[in-house]
Amino acid sequence: MSGALSCSTTDLAVLLGPNATAAADYICGQLSAVNNKFTDVAFAVDNTYLLFSAYLVFSMQLGFAMLCAGSVRAKNTMNIMLTNVLDAAAGGLFYYLFGYAFAFGSPSNGFIGKHNFGLKDFPSASGDYSNFLYQWAFAIAAAGITSGSIAERTQFVAYLIYSSFLTGFVYPVVSHWFWSVDGWASPFRTDGDLLFSTGAIDFAGSGVVHMVGGIAGLWGALIEGPRLGRFDNGGRAIALRGHSASLVVLGTFLLWFGWYGFNPGSFNKILVTYESGTINGQWSAVGRTAVTTTLAGCTAALTTLFGKRLLSGHWNVTDVCNGLLGGFAAITGGCSVVEPWAAVICGFVAALVLLGCNKLAEKLKYDDPLQAAQLHGGCGAWGLIFTALFANEKYLNQIYGEKPGRPHGLFMGGGGKLLGAQLIQILVITGWVSATMGTLFFILKKMKLLRISAEDEMAGMDMTRHGGFAYMYYDDDESHKAIQLRKVEHRSPSPSGVITTPV
Amino acid sequence: MDTTCSAKDLAVLLSSSSNSTSSLAAATFLCSQFSNISNKLSDTTYAVDNTYLLFSAYLVFAMQLGFAMLCAGSVRAKNTMNIMLTNVLDAAAGAISYYLFGFAFAFGTPSNGFIGRHHSFFALSSYPERPGADFSFFLYQWAFAIAAAGITSGSIAERTQFVAYLIYSSFLTGFVYPTVSHWFWSTDGWASASRSDNNLLFGSGAIDFAGSGVVHMVGGIAGLWGALIEGPRIGRFDRLGRSVALRGHSASLVVLGTFLLWFGWYGFNPGSFLTILKGYEKSRPYYGQWSAVGRTAVTTTLAGCTSALTTLFSKRLLAGHWNVIDVCNGLLGGFAAITSGCAVVEPWAAIVCGFVASWVLIGFNLLAKKLKYDDPLEAAQLHGGCGAWGVIFTGLFATKRYVNEVYSGDGRPYGLLMGGGGKLLAAQLVQILVIIGWVSVTMGPLFYGLHKMNLLRISREDEMAGMDMTRHGGFAYAYNDEDDLSVKPWGKVEPTSRSSTPTPPLTA
Repeated sequence: MSGALSCSTTDLAVLLGPNATAAADYICGQLSAVNNKFTDVAFAVDNTYLLFSAYLVFSMQLGFAMLCAGSVRAKNTMNIMLTNVLDAAAGGLFYYLFGYAFAFGSPSNGFIGKHNFGLKDFPSASGDYSNFLYQWAFAIAAAGITSGSIAERTQFVAYLIYSSFLTGFVYPVVSHWFWSVDGWASPFRTDGDLLFSTGAIDFAGSGVVHMVGGIAGLWGALIEGPRLGRFDNGGRAIALRGHSASLVVLGTFLLWFGWYGFNPGSFNKILVTYESGTINGQWSAVGRTAVTTTLAGCTAALTTLFGKRLLSGHWNVTDVCNGLLGGFAAITGGCSVVEPWAAVICGFVAALVLLGCNKLAEKLKYDDPLQAAQLHGGCGAWGLIFTALFANEKYLNQIYGEKPGRPHGLFMGGGGKLLGAQLIQILVITGWVSATMGTLFFILKKMKLLRISAEDEMAGMDMTRHGGFAYMYYDDDESHKAIQLRKVEHRSPSPSGVITTPV
Repeated sequence: MDTTCSAKDLAVLLSSSSNSTSSLAAATFLCSQFSNISNKLSDTTYAVDNTYLLFSAYLVFAMQLGFAMLCAGSVRAKNTMNIMLTNVLDAAAGAISYYLFGFAFAFGTPSNGFIGRHHSFFALSSYPERPGADFSFFLYQWAFAIAAAGITSGSIAERTQFVAYLIYSSFLTGFVYPTVSHWFWSTDGWASASRSDNNLLFGSGAIDFAGSGVVHMVGGIAGLWGALIEGPRIGRFDRLGRSVALRGHSASLVVLGTFLLWFGWYGFNPGSFLTILKGYEKSRPYYGQWSAVGRTAVTTTLAGCTSALTTLFSKRLLAGHWNVIDVCNGLLGGFAAITSGCAVVEPWAAIVCGFVASWVLIGFNLLAKKLKYDDPLEAAQLHGGCGAWGVIFTGLFATKRYVNEVYSGDGRPYGLLMGGGGKLLAAQLVQILVIIGWVSVTMGPLFYGLHKMNLLRISREDEMAGMDMTRHGGFAYAYNDEDDLSVKPWGKVEPTSRSSTPTPPLTA
């Protein structure tokens, strides 16, 4: 694209002679061709952007798998990792068959979508395959979160059932309400009847993804009860430490990396101008969203570092990792509509929210191996409220359409309507997920399909259900290290000795 | 912005061209259409360039993860949580300090040659201001800043108090590093090759495209001082002066980390072009900045691979076996070296760069052993040594064509061995000296001050027991339930030969 596109009025006027029609046809033809090329370019650029964002969100599955693995005991490693692989796999199938249609199949009603089952009539003007893949990556993230709450004590069949139901129905319905063009609470609603004149603002899913995953996990963990040994007879909490801090850090960093697809990618398009010919366009908002995401997570991490230093007396890397993730979960709702300095506040409060929710969980004897309900549910809810307080009017107008007098952040002078919509979102998500997933987990429990037996739990799920121990650092094939499906008596002294330094 | 056109209407205007009002109207219409097209092109360019830079930034960020895993695998298991926490905190604390002042010191313009100072850059207060300075640029530069701080943590691993990490890391990311990047990368910097007022150092400016000096040498020299001042790890050199290898606990993590760093380097080097949508030559429409970006990815790859192979065979000769850890370090040394000239050299030259980098690293490691200098990640030798080689390499092999394309000029000095005279090499040598000097006088006294205040090195007992047990809540790994320290969180570990201390000190 070398050479400037300039035009001299006087020169052109001289050239325009008597044979005008032909000249006019030619010129209009050229302009039309240029217009088409621009349209093509925009689609190519936007699809590239969205596809690579989708690949990043997908890498969060890997991150969550590693985080889960590192956070549970070694004897349950293969189990939790298998559930993560299956969330993605089963989710792929069910989201393709019905999930995407329930979420985005428009035109439809305010409750649920009803087109594009099995990607029929795809692509259309409203969405291409990149949109589907991106949304699939989100859907499996929600299901993954739940698996953390019920880790180390849940039957595999129960995982398959809840995961398919969550990804194929419960989650898509929620995303329809808040993200589709038909949804009753969606700020993208095209029929003009916005909830409280605004719709709920949940840009990348503090509520839609994190709260859904967290509340579902909450019910699973509540109904099946704490892990054996988590709370002793005197009611004291006993830490059941994860087996590898390296995997926890690996997983956390991969989630951070993938979050750059999760938050900025939620714009879906990057080639949108706010003021043509200037730097004022959606690409700038995308970059700003990456910055707010970063600042919130980092602030939450630092706050957690110093908070835990005061509370427990040492510098704890796994707690810092969880704090970091809580900051990300919180900023996810408002990342695109707040200023960078506000993101710092978001992260700071998120760290405190997580610390508080964890203390509450301990008091109520609620056991969640990944702190998933506290982190995703608690910090996710804070994120929605945060958005209602700090959302900036200019950014809301750029993203959700120009609306004079639009409700925006309470602390930014925007009134209380947005806060009202956000509170509705929190209540409705809590209610819907509780009614659906709570009932499902309860039924599974009644059918004895939810929790594993006490013996299996003591021996570890890998030995009893997944073919053997996940790690084999020494070749001396002691019986309980070989790949066999025998139950191992946990209390007997382990023959190969304590492994202190993995190679 | 509509570029539609109504032929009928336009024809009417054109046909009465003897009437000057109509032809003027026609011309006005045409010109406004061209103006629309120009705007659309400009929008497209911004979208494409921002996408390119943002994804490059995410890749550079992935290098934090890579370095965390490399560090974890290279230290002993009893210090794993400590080193990983320092890597997480480099990124987190770095975000706050770089956002508040680091970025402004680096790129706040207009300013002087030493340091940036425009108020609107502090905490990004009136950002973005103009093309090329959008949020994507901030994020990209942040990712570089935290890389530099991460490098230093490798040199002082396994024996440094956590408070010292927090202090040096914030100071390095918030001030020392931004100043250096201002000198060599901003349009005001006194030694910058992109200096806008044409007063280039030696008529050339120093060429350090992605930071062999600005990032790698800064991180490496800072680490050098920290490790020198606090001394070697206990047991690293025995009483007879022989060196004892303190092997890392996981080769898998080392390789994982190395590959992730390699992956991220494709953001670090090619991404330093900042934009990709720019044509270079009308006569060759396929040749533009996108080509240079691709070429940079290729030179990066070739240098690292050559260095890895050279290290493989050299170590086979020197040590008698094929050593994956050494090959990984050699690979990274090749990358650190090519980082300076990756955009301005031919691919064959990158092979030379990697070959020499491997020997430079081996040489510096032998020197370190002789001088009883202990660096758990070989960070000073790799990033400092290979980084310096990389800066010199650019002064020798930069081609005329690429230098003038990348730094838009005419008749700029280029590589000595390519017939470009000695001015570029002279500027490169000045860069090396100045970086060594600046980092030494800032980070050296900082580490010395921390040392004098007893804030730098941990106690002997803590070092023997391992920092994870004594300061980070417990051992990083628990492969059997008996390792589950839930009942007795403190009393478990058996360090080398003594029984564990009953209640380890909880000093910070």
